[in-house]
Amino acid sequence: MDTTKETRTMAKTCQAPCDIFHESDKVICKLEMPGVSKDSLEVKVDGDRLIIDGRKPAHDTKGEYRIREIRTGDYHQEFTIDDTVDRNKIDASIKNGVVTISLGLRESEKPRKIQISSS
Amino acid sequence: MALIKWKNRDLYDPWADFKSLQDEINALFDIDRVPTTTGLFDRSVSPAIDVIEDEHTYTVVCELPGMNEKDIDVSIASNVLTIKGEKKNEREEKKGSYYKKESWSGSFQRTLPLPASVNGDKISAQLKDGVLSVVLPKKEEAKPKQISVNIS
Repeated sequence: MDTTKETRTMAKTCQAPCDIFHESDKVICKLEMPGVSKDSLEVKVDGDRLIIDGRKPAHDTKGEYRIREIRTGDYHQEFTIDDTVDRNKIDASIKNGVVTISLGLRESEKPRKIQISSS
Repeated sequence: MALIKWKNRDLYDPWADFKSLQDEINALFDIDRVPTTTGLFDRSVSPAIDVIEDEHTYTVVCELPGMNEKDIDVSIASNVLTIKGEKKNEREEKKGSYYKKESWSGSFQRTLPLPASVNGDKISAQLKDGVLSVVLPKKEEAKPKQISVNIS
């Protein structure tokens, strides 16, 4: 049955603004997910996919909206990662609504200096 | 019991392709992730806000990811609420190259005229997980009152 698949695609998600930069030995991915706390964030690696899910807290709909500009829907982002990323060196942290994921590169991918020996 | 129209999923649906094309075009215009200026003469970006009114308060919610309390300035002057501050880019001077940059940085300001019923002395604000909530209580006389009428 593909019902689960269908509900997942129909669920409203939004993409978070994302910065990706390359440092000497790692790639840092920063996502702005305001409203997401440590408990409502889920980061997982599934084969070649890096999946980031963040749930926004449901606002108590006691009152009425007078202005509504903030997008609703949970955050969902998927990235493809290749073999240069060491699967054991993936770290994630969250602070003030900004998720930082550090993807460590394999030793073989790092720039290496070759010593020149004089004979 | 709900009746659902039977649909043969094995049949090729030519409209499904149009749907995905439409989604792709919509994604091109999906630029409201980055806040823009709202006014004609605004020089700084305006982050998105929500204003929720209930019986006793107005709540202003503003998304400011990656910011600390000290970077945000919330003030009220003659019934105009101003949220301003500067969002710093932490990585400006560090080494490395960007593959992708979608986040914004720089100063921002958002002003909001408040209704006269707001009690300006009892405003509280808190920042949690990058979301700023400003709670503006209403004045006592503006709250709905229940008056019981005795019918004799």
